[in-house]
Amino acid sequence: MVSLARTIRNLRRVGFREWWRQMQYIGDAKSGRFVGSDQFNNRYYENMNAEEEIPGRQRWVDFSQHEYNASQVPPEWHSWLQHIRKDAPPQDPIFAKVSPPWKAPHIENLTGTRGAYKPYNTVKPKISAWEPQVKARA
Amino acid sequence: MSLALKSAVCNAARRASAGPVSGLQAYRPFTSSLHAKQVQESIPPPGPTEIPVTEIAQRGSNQLSLQQPQNKAEYVLSTLDKVTNWARQGSMWPMTFGLACCAVEMMHMAAARYDQDRLGVVFRASPRQSDIMIVAGTLTNKMAPALRKVYDQMPEPRWVISMGSCANGGGYYHYSYSVVRGCDRIVPVDIYVPGCPPTAEALLYGMLQLQRKMRRSRKGVTWYRK
Repeated sequence: MVSLARTIRNLRRVGFREWWRQMQYIGDAKSGRFVGSDQFNNRYYENMNAEEEIPGRQRWVDFSQHEYNASQVPPEWHSWLQHIRKDAPPQDPIFAKVSPPWKAPHIENLTGTRGAYKPYNTVKPKISAWEPQVKARA
Repeated sequence: MSLALKSAVCNAARRASAGPVSGLQAYRPFTSSLHAKQVQESIPPPGPTEIPVTEIAQRGSNQLSLQQPQNKAEYVLSTLDKVTNWARQGSMWPMTFGLACCAVEMMHMAAARYDQDRLGVVFRASPRQSDIMIVAGTLTNKMAPALRKVYDQMPEPRWVISMGSCANGGGYYHYSYSVVRGCDRIVPVDIYVPGCPPTAEALLYGMLQLQRKMRRSRKGVTWYRK
């Protein structure tokens, strides 16, 4: 849990610069083992010490972008982060063996930019709006 | 022999997919908005990239132009816009319009695990005190006038999150005689959360996307440039 002693301890471990970054982005002073980074330079950490981190906060990501969101985590790291897989992608032998060569590159959620997904329809619409046709009076 | 050859080919393909691919330039073009012809950009191939995809996608857009002040007045106005956006995104008070089972997931978002209070999201029972409406569930024809009335009672600025496939486009009840085929026929919708029902996590991600949308707002600069 968050306490002054924990904050000071983690500040002494990670250094002032890293602590300041954590307070800006994560909102908590955390220290742990650096597990790896992905192709977007997001950094992943782990602290399995039960005295220091409660379950659910044991693995975390430090995003590289200022405008961060959860879709910037690629799927393989997501599975590690959410405890779906025990080992991180660099250490996981099964992941290295079965990762399919046809896998498409990971793209984050581009909503709000020019890359946003916009569906379109090429078939005739099933519903047509009512346009009243007034018959000429006799 | 053939097995060894096959595995070698497979490994080569795997290595090619893991490393940066240079030949894959036009993976997915940004052709969905105006300036596509002027700026020929596409999402870069996989591998370590220095420039984030969002930055490439912003190039040549009106939004990027709005975010870059061109004179002192615009500098002041865009700063004021940012302060406004910060204030708005820090206290999003949703009006709960729980209509069906999606409302249960909406309650989960308020409960301890996904704890919306840490984001400043507090449910209000009155439309006059709220600035977001979460339409959670099937919107029936009978409920539609009430929905519109509640929306009209909300003060500006207001946003609407359509939650679940029933609110998005009728969903399971699309061909029913008594259901509105999407709540965007009644109110303008900002964020659509897909799912039947969406998880509390998905709804929270929708709230975060709405924050992102609020951050993009540059109303002062838009007014000045006009």
